[in-house]
Amino acid sequence: METDSIVFHGNLQQLLEKVETGEMVPKLQASHAPMCKFFTAYYVISGIRHVVPLVHGPTGCPLYMSDFVRTRECCEIRGVPLEPTACTTLDESNVIYGGEGKLLDAVKEAYAKYHPDLIVILSCCCSGIIGDDVESIAREAEKQVGCRVLALKSEGFGGDFRSGYEDAFKLIMELMEPPKTTMKGTINILGARWGPSPTEFNWDLDEIERLLSAIGIKVNAVIAGGCTVEQIRHAREVELNASWCYDWGQKLGDLIQQRFGVPYSRTGQPYGPEATREWLLGVATPLGMEKEASAVIERETREVEPDLAYLRQALSGKTAIIEISEFPGPIRALSLARMAEEFGAHPVVINVHPYTIKERMPSIKYILETGINPEIILTKGLFKLGSFRSSKETEDELEAIVRGYDNPIFFGNSGRFPPCPVVNLTLMNPAFQPQYGYKGIRNIAALVRQALEYKDLPRSRLFKGMLYGAGKR
Amino acid sequence: MVPANGDEQTGRKTRSPEACSNPYLRCAFNGAALTALGVSHSALLAHSPQGCEYLVNAAFAAQECDYMETMTLCTKLCVDEIVHGGEDILARTIREVKELPIAALFVISACGPEIVGDDIAAVCESLQPEMKFRLVPIASPGFRGSQYDGIDIALDTILKTLADGGVKKVPGSICLIAPHANANPTWPADLAWVKQVLMQMNIPVVSTLTYRTPLSDIINSASAETCLVLSHDAGQKAADYFSATYGLDQVCKGIPLPIGMTNTQRWLSALGERFDTLKAADEMVAEGERMVTTTCRRKWPMARFLYRTPAAIVADATIGIPLVRFVTEEMEMTPRFIALYSGNRSVRDLLDGELKSLGLATKIEYGTDVYKTRQGLQEIVPRVVFGSTIERHAADGLGIPYVVEVVKMMRQFRMINREYFGYTGILNLFEAVQNEWTMAWRSKEKRYRAKW
Repeated sequence: METDSIVFHGNLQQLLEKVETGEMVPKLQASHAPMCKFFTAYYVISGIRHVVPLVHGPTGCPLYMSDFVRTRECCEIRGVPLEPTACTTLDESNVIYGGEGKLLDAVKEAYAKYHPDLIVILSCCCSGIIGDDVESIAREAEKQVGCRVLALKSEGFGGDFRSGYEDAFKLIMELMEPPKTTMKGTINILGARWGPSPTEFNWDLDEIERLLSAIGIKVNAVIAGGCTVEQIRHAREVELNASWCYDWGQKLGDLIQQRFGVPYSRTGQPYGPEATREWLLGVATPLGMEKEASAVIERETREVEPDLAYLRQALSGKTAIIEISEFPGPIRALSLARMAEEFGAHPVVINVHPYTIKERMPSIKYILETGINPEIILTKGLFKLGSFRSSKETEDELEAIVRGYDNPIFFGNSGRFPPCPVVNLTLMNPAFQPQYGYKGIRNIAALVRQALEYKDLPRSRLFKGMLYGAGKR
Repeated sequence: MVPANGDEQTGRKTRSPEACSNPYLRCAFNGAALTALGVSHSALLAHSPQGCEYLVNAAFAAQECDYMETMTLCTKLCVDEIVHGGEDILARTIREVKELPIAALFVISACGPEIVGDDIAAVCESLQPEMKFRLVPIASPGFRGSQYDGIDIALDTILKTLADGGVKKVPGSICLIAPHANANPTWPADLAWVKQVLMQMNIPVVSTLTYRTPLSDIINSASAETCLVLSHDAGQKAADYFSATYGLDQVCKGIPLPIGMTNTQRWLSALGERFDTLKAADEMVAEGERMVTTTCRRKWPMARFLYRTPAAIVADATIGIPLVRFVTEEMEMTPRFIALYSGNRSVRDLLDGELKSLGLATKIEYGTDVYKTRQGLQEIVPRVVFGSTIERHAADGLGIPYVVEVVKMMRQFRMINREYFGYTGILNLFEAVQNEWTMAWRSKEKRYRAKW
């Protein structure tokens, strides 16, 4: 299948090579702007309870985060208390004369006002460019307040979105104290963010914790998805670290292993029976709990056997067109590809943005090492200027691609209108969460069932018109 | 009256004397974007790192832009551009979009490029001959102040760059300023009400600065005879500029915006007097008051049960100041704490006048932040708060039974814009109280489960 709209058609390994050689990196400066380093660093830090993220910058930088993360996501959606977002409100005078004195005062004020367990200074573009030494101020301030004060150089221009996550996770390691004991049968789950309640898709994390508990494995901390400073202090006392998502936990897991010698379980996301089995054994085996884990796996598998049978029957021989280019993310798309293959479908992943391949290089390489190397298609619309023109063109291209395959089924979200059954895997619909583990198998089976059984029902002209303009029927 | 902090001497609107604040307002960059995105058939290019694009996105939503019509772009500055300058990448990005079918491209610079000295005006000037559309550079980095400062900066630049002083005056006409500096989350309804009123009074609107405003309207804005500022938080500088440069007479100056019966009557009467349409204004007042009264008689607002209940108002000045009279007179509650996001001289004068006129001695916090708001609520313990989603959560544990969300709502649950201005606005506010009244009755803890 070769059409004018396709700019890459190969497998994941070949795409990775093109990205590594710079052949497949979008050059259009004006299009596609993911979060900056500051935002992602903030996400991680806000996942610690009773922390004051103290933003050393003007009010624009913290406000998006306080409105979106702390008030809407945490309070409105998850029902956790409103936590502060402090800011030094840098102005022109501070930009000219420096803001270090103000920052020191701000730390003391933040401690007096909010009585936090931890203060983390986050620098922004302004404070970074004028050269305020946030790390020295943090050290000085820590002597004057009753909690730890850390600093993170998180200027928005200073790195891509991934560097903010990773630098924040690295900083959290500063809080980990030398172990006084070993917590037997206990692990940390790494790579979470967006607290202070459990991480963004907490249903998935709940499922992981349910299964761990059934095996008899305890969790010390979900770092940083609602964990406490006290839990982080004891993080080195666990027997093993694991990740809810290989991509986000990998860096921190490797660093803790290198620096502190706590082993890290390298496992992918638990989508489908085989990946779930691997995830659970990957954690239980190093803890000497393989037998207990196998019993849980056997019992849980038996309970979802009707769903597994249905998925095998429903997906066998089909082409699973998987498009999760922006949300919920490319690593989930690749995990889904593996699951689809397990059930007998041929997975084709479309429009995994080369930018995300570049930013997730270690995870992509790990996924390839585990034998996952699906067919990949990238289309012109992915590189089009502007969000509407891009999404309209990729919709047209998706429809054309689907027509080129026999027996297709689409895994993505309901914002797409391909001429085939649509499995709505958006994480924005809480009615079918989690997607991880055995409960996830049940939910995915239900989503596939409704996609196939109701494939002939009319789609919404209203929503299609809203997304792609009038005339698209 | 006890003003708790001060920035009145400097005239800066939102400065806090504390080193550590938990602000309500976004930065000047956001305010400039909010203003530029109100110009139709235009695009916005953020000369900034990619994170600032999210402030543009927030402005995009607030101006109700349609992503099929309005494009936002970003130069996505990285370390290289901060070290070596970002003018080249700005020029390259503008050239990338030169074929866009737009009337203007607003180029707004953020903190980084402004500190390192990128000259966006020079880049735009040098590229203008290549472009089919107008390039409008606006230097509005976040450190220049709050979103209100950004709105003033953008209006100043836009008017000085685009307004044509040579246009012929349109008799009896008006220019509307800063409708978007309004914390009603569906503020375009307030603007729509104003336009409807002006139409009924046969007062032509030559320009709205800004909301879906064609570039030609901005160019012609000096043809108005008068101007009307639709915010107490921003826009006054633009009105002063119009007055000094083009002789536009500002109407309704120093009067609270039309929220509640008395404010609306006063505001309509001022318009009627200025445009010699007092009879039409009186008719509108009579008809509006009759409609509200009869509607209330049929619907029975629960607000009537809150007689002299201690209340707090936490909002921008645009909504907060007019609410003081509405809450006191029409709803018969007692404002005991007023916390306003801004606090410039004119805001203080206006609120002082209102409180004196009503005979209220109220704790006031100008330029409030979330911490100061919570402290004030903790001290006063009002029973009703007119505020935002933030107060709903910040008041947690303080024993405040009602938080009526009227501004800065974090959930966009309204599909139809609702005004607070005018007579239907009164009913919309009553409705907000009504819904909260019901929620406050509902038990937070179920006492038993039903058997079926």
